[in-house]
Amino acid sequence: MNEYRHHVRSLAAAALLALVAACTSMSPDARRLPSGTQADGAASESGQLEEITVTGSRVVPGRRDRSTFAPSLAAPTPLPSGAALDRVQGIGPADEIWFIAVPDGADEGPGAGEDRPGSGALVATVPGSDPNAEPTTVPLPLEHTDVSAAIRGYVGIVDVRQEFRNPYAEKIEAVYLFPLPENAAVREFVMAIGDRQIRGILREKEEAEQLYHEARAQGYRASLLVQQRPNVFEQKVANIEPGKRIDVAIRYFHTLPYHDGWYAFVFPAVVGPRYNPPGWQDPVGALPRGAVFLPGRGRAVRYLRPGERSAHDLAISVDLDAGVPIEAVDASHPIETVREADHKVRIALADEDTIPNRDFVLRFKVAGDEIRSKLLTWRDPETNEGYFTMMVHPPADVSDIPRQPVEMVFVIDTSSSMNGRPIEQAKEAVLTALERLRPDDTFQIIRFANEASPFGPEPVPATAENLRAARAHVEQLDVSGGTEMIAGIRAALAFAHDERRLRFVTFLTDGYIGNEAQIIGEVHRLIGEARIFSFGVGNAVNRYLLERLASEGRGAVAYLGLDDSADEVMGYFFDRISRPALTDLEIDFGEMRASEIYPSRLPDLFVGRAVVVTGRFAGEPDGVTVRGRVRGEPVELSISAADAAPELSFIASLWARLRIADLADRMAWTSDPDGELARQIRETALEHSLTSEFTAFVAVDASEQTAGTHGTTVHQAVPVPDGVRYETTVGAP
Amino acid sequence: MSGRARTPLARRVHAGAWTIRRVVPSRITALAAATALATLCAALLATSVRGQDAFSAGAAPGTFEVVDVYVESARPLAAWQFELEEADGRMRVVGIEGGEAAPFADAPYYDRDAVDGGTADRIIVANFSLLEPDDLPVGHTRVASVHVRVAAGAAPDYRLRLIAAGTAGGRPIDAEISFDTRNGRRQ
Repeated sequence: MNEYRHHVRSLAAAALLALVAACTSMSPDARRLPSGTQADGAASESGQLEEITVTGSRVVPGRRDRSTFAPSLAAPTPLPSGAALDRVQGIGPADEIWFIAVPDGADEGPGAGEDRPGSGALVATVPGSDPNAEPTTVPLPLEHTDVSAAIRGYVGIVDVRQEFRNPYAEKIEAVYLFPLPENAAVREFVMAIGDRQIRGILREKEEAEQLYHEARAQGYRASLLVQQRPNVFEQKVANIEPGKRIDVAIRYFHTLPYHDGWYAFVFPAVVGPRYNPPGWQDPVGALPRGAVFLPGRGRAVRYLRPGERSAHDLAISVDLDAGVPIEAVDASHPIETVREADHKVRIALADEDTIPNRDFVLRFKVAGDEIRSKLLTWRDPETNEGYFTMMVHPPADVSDIPRQPVEMVFVIDTSSSMNGRPIEQAKEAVLTALERLRPDDTFQIIRFANEASPFGPEPVPATAENLRAARAHVEQLDVSGGTEMIAGIRAALAFAHDERRLRFVTFLTDGYIGNEAQIIGEVHRLIGEARIFSFGVGNAVNRYLLERLASEGRGAVAYLGLDDSADEVMGYFFDRISRPALTDLEIDFGEMRASEIYPSRLPDLFVGRAVVVTGRFAGEPDGVTVRGRVRGEPVELSISAADAAPELSFIASLWARLRIADLADRMAWTSDPDGELARQIRETALEHSLTSEFTAFVAVDASEQTAGTHGTTVHQAVPVPDGVRYETTVGAP
Repeated sequence: MSGRARTPLARRVHAGAWTIRRVVPSRITALAAATALATLCAALLATSVRGQDAFSAGAAPGTFEVVDVYVESARPLAAWQFELEEADGRMRVVGIEGGEAAPFADAPYYDRDAVDGGTADRIIVANFSLLEPDDLPVGHTRVASVHVRVAAGAAPDYRLRLIAAGTAGGRPIDAEISFDTRNGRRQ
């Protein structure tokens, strides 16, 4: 009997997996990548190598130096023969041997020195750039990204397929740094070669990397997916032969944010050019296409120069089933919609030729509150462990909530990446907020770039005279320098709290930094009674940083696109945040015996702002009671449990992803000398088959060694984000 | 290298919800069918197994090869599950590929616990199909290929066990399982 029960539980668990898979594809065949994905024919002749450098795993660090090897191998096209390899003492057939092409003058670009992280790049020769000329298409391996999403309620199940093809005459390894949503739980990884599909294996990161490098060195086709940041991933695909194609497919789950009646599905398109403080040990750098530096520390995104573009295009389709009638849909890009039912809409990006340089944002508004008023649960039939998630909303009508006096601190990013439209939007937003201050409020304005400087020595009352001076101060702000956000954090938080006022710190930034962990740790240390409101300015901002700032600061986040009305967005946002609608939030889980709940600290809820609460439970999920204060008076809200359903197995993945994020945040402010936090992250990720800082997916096609004795690492260059200037963030074209 | 094993269908198959067995006209029913069959496969994957030896990050370079797994059945094969290990714990699984027959071309799922925690691998793999019996393979069929890295040393000693095989109707099949290896190395 016990055995029978065990099997029944197993069956139920499996049913959940199947239903989740079915959410995005109605049959097993639908999960398959398209056939015929491997191309025939010769490589494009347009890609030419300009300079060659050899590195090998046995070459000691001091000899992994362009000056050591480059002269003897410089400038051949095509790549050198095996005879050239023989000159490199100590490299054997089992070593990693990669040729790295270096463009002329590559070292002159910012960050291109040999003390920077990363590895080399192959660079195609392109005509000189004329600002009035048509964009020059640069041959690069990533041809196409196909995004197929299924939205069920407020959960997104997303399949991303990246199609790599080698346009060169030599075998390559493609390397691509790309963004995903900051809360994406990446759970599946498949490499496709023609009709063949090879499911990748999740392993501890070091082991996955070693297996990949070993396969690469032996000439096998292989791929590796490594998380560099919670929202930045590195894809490597080794031994792509000339003209041939290899696809990589990943699947992730995430919850959608809810603001003012709208849910938002975001697919980020590009990692913005980030600033890394000197000495930061784990940077995500920004380099011109073709720049080269030695590997060892961190990674760098390569950017196309002005006037260049790659053939990479993006297709997005969304199968939206809200479960309740959908009132409206809008998007950041032109879309085509087909309404299949009152609660179902199919959406597709209208123009696949769109340059992937800004986030795709799809918003939908639903009728009523059914979708958001249920406690969703799932119990693992194998372990009997329960998982739940629910969205907690404040009362809708709080028009009569009095606004309390505030101490408003505006912190404006005036670094180089904000040059142009972003800083204009940020200024407009601050000017709008200043207009809404009252005489009993105080305010401060802090700008930061290489250093922070305040408007005054301390917050000043919002008098007409002070506001006039503040407006003049804001209007004359200009941009230059790096993004030393740590200076802005300290200037905004490290001063005495005015007990009579709520301190609201509003960051206006694109978030283009590489030291997120340091920033989050500093906020944790200094936050005190303040609340942080992060305001992402731009079309492809670092949402991970902005979300974490707001979360750690128990505030809220908003995004101001470059084409949005700053006055409208900030005005609405300011009106909301200045009236906390539900404070002192507590949740009574009754008989659920809930544990490991995220977020670990419940924020105050503002009008129109919901929070998703996710956790584990061991008891019976009969529903929960949310308690808090509205206008100072105690209130209660009951949330009933929906029927458990197999398709809700993804809740476990969502919970695991939140646990990993929480543990990673703790690592930002503790030293973890015994590696306990790292161990917990690793175990959680492996148990739930998720990528993390310590786990990665690897896939190897061991069926055939590719021909040739060497390969070239090609870094996929990407456009700078829409509205960001190449010359002020990456370097002189 | 090749091997062959014959295993009676595991008892747990009888507990499976193999009641939906036909390709049905409506998507909902198809979904239910997929769920039921997937349920069986995943249930069969539930066993947690551990290998013996830790993978050494500094180990000498290994070799890569493919273990092609075949099931031979006199009746149309709709679902299967097998377990593969290397006797000395020198195998590291680096990929799972679908089979040659269209119903099993998708990359199958594997038991995550079998490759968890830095231990030497044993792996449990399963797959299923919703196709009609006429469209399912009969006879000697390559159902999956396991891509592995083998530590340097003597030839690997693979152990392969068929845990379950079944028809579209959810009935067990008395099938045989075997394997071949290939390495694709260039001479």
